[in-house]
Amino acid sequence: MSAAPTLQRLERVLLMVPWLLEHPGVTVEEVSERFGVPPADLVRDLDILGYCGLPGYGGGDLVEASIVGDRISVRMADFFSRPLALSLREALTLLLAGSALAAVEDLPESADLASAVAKLRGAMGADARLAIDLRTPGDEHLEALRGAVRDRRVVRLVYRSGSKAETTERLVEPWAVVGARGAWYLHAWCRAAQAPRHFRLDRIRELDVTREPAERRPPETPQPAAYTPEPGDESVVLELEPGATWLAEWVVPDTLEELGGGRLRLAFRTPSVEWVARVLLRLGADARVVEPAGLRTRAAELAASALRHYA
Amino acid sequence: MTDRLERLINLVIALRETRRPMTAEEIRRRVAGYGQDEYEAFRRMFERDKSDLRALGVPIEMAPLDAFETESGYRIDPKRYDLPELHLEPRELTALALALRATGLYDAAGTGLLKLQVDAGDPDARRVPLEPGLGLDLGAPHLQALMEAQATRTPVRFAYRPLGRDEAQRTVDPHALVHRRGRWYLVGRDHERDARRSFRLDRIAGAVKAAGEPGAFPPPPEVGVDDVVPTAEGGPATAEVLAAPEVAWTVARRARGGGRERPDGWTAFTVAVGEPEDFLAWALDLGPDLVVEEPAELRAEVVARLRAAAAATAAVEGAR
Repeated sequence: MSAAPTLQRLERVLLMVPWLLEHPGVTVEEVSERFGVPPADLVRDLDILGYCGLPGYGGGDLVEASIVGDRISVRMADFFSRPLALSLREALTLLLAGSALAAVEDLPESADLASAVAKLRGAMGADARLAIDLRTPGDEHLEALRGAVRDRRVVRLVYRSGSKAETTERLVEPWAVVGARGAWYLHAWCRAAQAPRHFRLDRIRELDVTREPAERRPPETPQPAAYTPEPGDESVVLELEPGATWLAEWVVPDTLEELGGGRLRLAFRTPSVEWVARVLLRLGADARVVEPAGLRTRAAELAASALRHYA
Repeated sequence: MTDRLERLINLVIALRETRRPMTAEEIRRRVAGYGQDEYEAFRRMFERDKSDLRALGVPIEMAPLDAFETESGYRIDPKRYDLPELHLEPRELTALALALRATGLYDAAGTGLLKLQVDAGDPDARRVPLEPGLGLDLGAPHLQALMEAQATRTPVRFAYRPLGRDEAQRTVDPHALVHRRGRWYLVGRDHERDARRSFRLDRIAGAVKAAGEPGAFPPPPEVGVDDVVPTAEGGPATAEVLAAPEVAWTVARRARGGGRERPDGWTAFTVAVGEPEDFLAWALDLGPDLVVEEPAELRAEVVARLRAAAAATAAVEGAR
């Protein structure tokens, strides 16, 4: 038998015994489910525990572990009345998850998380320093959307699309609210598009949780709010000055070529030339469009019509 | 031959309950599962058991047997072994369980939550469904290793590759981990530069290695979420903008106070600036639907970028 399973079994025994001491007479089935251990393994491990104890290993030294019918009894194991202290890894993982969700404003759990995190920190020997900022415009919609996901209700959105720069109304069936890459997204089935879509919460103008039940089941594995190229998407090639190279990290590059002096030639695909055209306004002199010509025209048009306001 | 699990449990019990530290020889003679082996074989077996137990987090210490420190032995301090009472309320535990589910860290937390449940009871299953409908992607390469190095104040060494520049080795005293706008940063003292720097985790190439012992540097000054970006000293706090009717609602989100609608249907707002680059990105994304009026320097920057964008595109167009 290899070493790892033995250590896993030991970890499980050290975890189970304190709970068994507190809960005399629990059934094999209950314990098996709670600690994720097959009943046969549980019976075997309890049998071994009955051979363990204080050096001397006489009558009064051994742990009493027995199964009568399907009920478990463990006694004479005061040395295992507490679980092993949290390992650094366990403590840091709990702290990370707790601090992150506590940083989301306006969740009903925020206050409980903040106090749980403070207690965890107090009990940790180490001074873990995490600073997490998750505030984004649009997070005021989080709670309503979470409720709609939970109750499986159709939601009416008035949404300003980033790819078309227009505001439309649509009905969606919400699956999950997902925070990624510095923004919150609603992952949902869009009835208008007849396809799954991600909606950025800060682009939602109005939302309305209807009484209509959602029909579409969420996909088995939640989709991250990431772009996957589709047929019909446009290929874009840009040359970027050093001040604009951050763009390479916000798209999924097809190719990325260093041009010297910190300049890059970036090729990627996009479902929305309009979005890229607006990014070009921001990049000013730091970007040059190699292709497509339509992107060049659209950026020039947008820049010219914006400049008319500044005349 | 006894089962290894049995031997390990017996070793933990013996070291925990012993009044004075046990020497290796005492362990060999007295702890069930070791006895019969010749000394070298025992030594190898014991070394392996000791290091596996420590990896699980069992605090096996070495301590002198007497005041002269001529001989030393092993023991487990129950105060370090036992989970301290955290006094978590059941609702706090439920919130932690939800946080682990929402961040996808439930499995990574291992037995941590179950340990806490011994005192705090079980999470409220109705409030912690398997699919909480709320997800938060906190994944970043090296995050776990750097958190551990930071918490133990262990210097680290890694290859760092700023975009568009060459990779270089850095040695850093980790002061804090900062999450901002969906990215993780390590803030710490860069040894070569002898100054505090921030490093994006996704630009660390290859492995993060320890470059010193735990506790190698004193507790560092506090770090905040804004320490990872250059601060705009004395920059403008607010800007005056005009929003087209189509986008007034979205501009209102960033506004300080309400808007003042004008006869032509456009609305004037006072909006927060924050970091100038963020403000410019936001303003220019709205294209012709937003006009920056004040302050003059931001207005000038918007005009400069629009002109540059118009020129860059027109020039190439003309060259064809």
